[in-house]
Amino acid sequence: MTENNFSHNFAKRDENLPPRKVYPLPDYPQPEGLLPFDTENSNYQQNVPIAIDLGKTNVRVGMAGTRDPFLNYPTLTARYRDRKNNKQTTFVGNDVFLESTVKANMKSPFDGQMLTNWDSIEKMFDFSFLHLGVNSNNRVNNPIIMNESLAAPLSQRETISQMLFESYDIPSIAFGIDSVFSFYENGYKSGLILGTNHESNYVIPVLDSMPLHNISKRINIGGHQLCDYMRSSLGLKYPYFPTRLNDWQIQQLVKNHCYVSKDFSTEIEKTLDMDYLETHDITIEAPFNEIIKEEKTEEQIRLDEIKRKENIKKLQDQAKLKRIEKLELKQKDFEYYSKIKESFSELSKKEIIETIREAGFDDEDDLDKYLETLEKSLKKAKLLNDTDNDNDEDEDANKYDFSILDVPNSELTTEQQREKRRLRLIKANIDSKLRARQEKEEAIREAEELRLKDIKFREDDLENWIKSKREKLEKVVKKRKDRIKLKDDLNDRKSKASQMRMKNIASLADDAPVQSSDNEDRRGRKRRHNNKPATVDNDPNDTFGANDDDWAVYRDIAGIDDEEISAEELEEIYTLEKQLLEFDPNFTMDDTQERQFDYKTSTIHKFLRGPRDFDNEDQHQLHQIHLNVERIRIPEIMFQPSISGIDQAGIVEIAEDTLLRRLPQELGFSGDNSYNETIAKVYDNIFLTGGSALFPNFKERLINEFRTGLPSDRPFNVRIANDPILDAWRGMSKWAFNDYSNNNLKGFWTKQQYEELGVSYMTENGLGCIKLT
Amino acid sequence: MSTMEEYINQMESAYKFKTQHKRKNPRYKGARLIINEETRRLNSLNKQPTTTYFTISAPPSIKPLKTYCDITGLPTNYKSPHNQIRYLNKECYEIVKNMPSGVDQQYLSLRGANVVLK
Repeated sequence: MTENNFSHNFAKRDENLPPRKVYPLPDYPQPEGLLPFDTENSNYQQNVPIAIDLGKTNVRVGMAGTRDPFLNYPTLTARYRDRKNNKQTTFVGNDVFLESTVKANMKSPFDGQMLTNWDSIEKMFDFSFLHLGVNSNNRVNNPIIMNESLAAPLSQRETISQMLFESYDIPSIAFGIDSVFSFYENGYKSGLILGTNHESNYVIPVLDSMPLHNISKRINIGGHQLCDYMRSSLGLKYPYFPTRLNDWQIQQLVKNHCYVSKDFSTEIEKTLDMDYLETHDITIEAPFNEIIKEEKTEEQIRLDEIKRKENIKKLQDQAKLKRIEKLELKQKDFEYYSKIKESFSELSKKEIIETIREAGFDDEDDLDKYLETLEKSLKKAKLLNDTDNDNDEDEDANKYDFSILDVPNSELTTEQQREKRRLRLIKANIDSKLRARQEKEEAIREAEELRLKDIKFREDDLENWIKSKREKLEKVVKKRKDRIKLKDDLNDRKSKASQMRMKNIASLADDAPVQSSDNEDRRGRKRRHNNKPATVDNDPNDTFGANDDDWAVYRDIAGIDDEEISAEELEEIYTLEKQLLEFDPNFTMDDTQERQFDYKTSTIHKFLRGPRDFDNEDQHQLHQIHLNVERIRIPEIMFQPSISGIDQAGIVEIAEDTLLRRLPQELGFSGDNSYNETIAKVYDNIFLTGGSALFPNFKERLINEFRTGLPSDRPFNVRIANDPILDAWRGMSKWAFNDYSNNNLKGFWTKQQYEELGVSYMTENGLGCIKLT
Repeated sequence: MSTMEEYINQMESAYKFKTQHKRKNPRYKGARLIINEETRRLNSLNKQPTTTYFTISAPPSIKPLKTYCDITGLPTNYKSPHNQIRYLNKECYEIVKNMPSGVDQQYLSLRGANVVLK
């Protein structure tokens, strides 16, 4: 089959639909240069606390008391070796994006929720202090306030304070939790903090500025897990996507295009409806180098063809010329040696031998042999030339005199007999050619007759013609479907079709040993032969083969690849459809098999390709990603961690549990506590902060969920941080500055305390820095 | 705008505000090791603190589990009997049926239901 693709080539149906908006795939930001060490605006002063928000995505550093952090850079470091000067350094933050060799080495010092790479962290401190303009000798004379994660293993706090006290010799240190800092910055005293983080989400109730850490909970789902889920689900959705998405791109996709669904269970049901996709499907195109095909005009194609033909002609002519030249040479040779041979009659024996020797032959026989081969090749060449000159073979028949063929061999000389043999071969050749041509003509004539008959049938009785054609089409389509189904069934070992096949094989195998034992047992052979049980081979009542389908049994057993059959069927369907399209007014493009697949009804198509048809030749479309279900499915993991296989309750369930069960118990209530004032304070302030709080609709979703989950007679308030990302640092700065200016740094853990007690005895400071021993 | 060379020199100048006998940083430890060490530390204590890394871990959900199609993410109740993949409809089942054995595990690993050989 040369042409496997039977397509009606209709124009695309959706030309009236507007094209979808295509979003570019963002790449790493490209900084213009390295961050200059410009300390002018850092407000650096000795003794004033430095606030460091060591987040998992970004690090924010600045002096306490300022409104915004002086430094805000991604938590990344990259080692780099300058080969020219043989020096090693580490790039930090945005500076790692400057060069691709540096970018390749970038790393985060975090492993999950834990700080692991202390060398990186030291470089970050160096980098931050240098940018702030620390200029004291052998010490950093500033108290440091830092964040940590709630109830992190003690070794984390130990190592970081060890580094700061012993390598930088800082006077004092304080720790706190970023979401509590954010809560503080927003000016609240009691409430329930829902802190979303890069690695985990926290639910922390706070009463009168004291976080109730013993009933706080951590859910191991954070922004990072959402990105991971996005990456793996996109990888499975587009397994052959030509470009690999990097971490940054995935992060941007989640950040820019995902949103929290206000009512997930109803919205998810309709995410693949056409009208929903029209408004919610997002098309993202990865950058690629487009290959522009050169379009040849018809004129060019024609000229090319002519050129090609000319070249062929030239080569043919050259070959012919060479052949003729050779022929002439041989002819001359032949004539020359024949003359020599003729002259032998006049010469003496000695002279003959001399001439032969001179010509380079051993003796007369040798010369004869040579002459004979020359003659043969000459004859052959002449014959070739003849056919070259006139291609019409019909005349060949007339050129030969075949009368000799009828003469019996006995009346002919050996020469004539040889000639007869040759002529017989030639005649057979010509005859077979003639026969083939006749057959071909016959076939064409028959096809033409059939076509005419069909046309006549159509013209006489269109209704019945259509009916018969439709029936035929239906039959072929059904046959094709059945065949495909059978093929599928055979893949399943337990299906009926498979079992039938096994039965057939078993019965065939069963026959064989009966016959072979007959052969072995020679004595009883004759007797048994007469009573031989009826097998496939000798059963007189066997009608196997009378029905064409019987032979399918062999195909079933051998498992013949039926690609060819499939192609034939497709061709038949195609021709029938073409006829019907032309003459049946009720048969439209939509009735063709090709159109039976409608992308508008295909879930998979809509999921993969959005609300438009897909053209797999279009380079743009091959580089596109569609986000539809993912847009709400991914943030939903925070509410249903089971989607990503984490066996923990979602943030709302934990929050409700905290409000309804844990908090009253903590306060000493059991039973009715609906009018307790303390609890009302917490209900009044459900506070959402952290990076994931930026997902659109998060607050609305929380309100919806709490309205159904909390007692109806109890009012509640959901608030969102003014700036869910920066408020943590601002809270740090504010708290540290207050402590510095009003409290003489009482909230800090001094170097003396560190040296005497270590950090194990650090006490609760109202910021979630809990005692771990 | 500073050049690479200036950057290297600047970063080196950080030694000025560090103590002269700077401690060597502890070696790299993975998160799993840190958590194991914390468990050991807590076990060695006479009295357990009220709040630890482990006590604040959220409990499992007690609400009925909702199931979603592994391929499209839409709610569904169907599950393929031979590879446990959840599917939405006939069309998705066609894909599930012809899925190579590695791919179904990848889909299952998305929701932590894959088979892990230890």
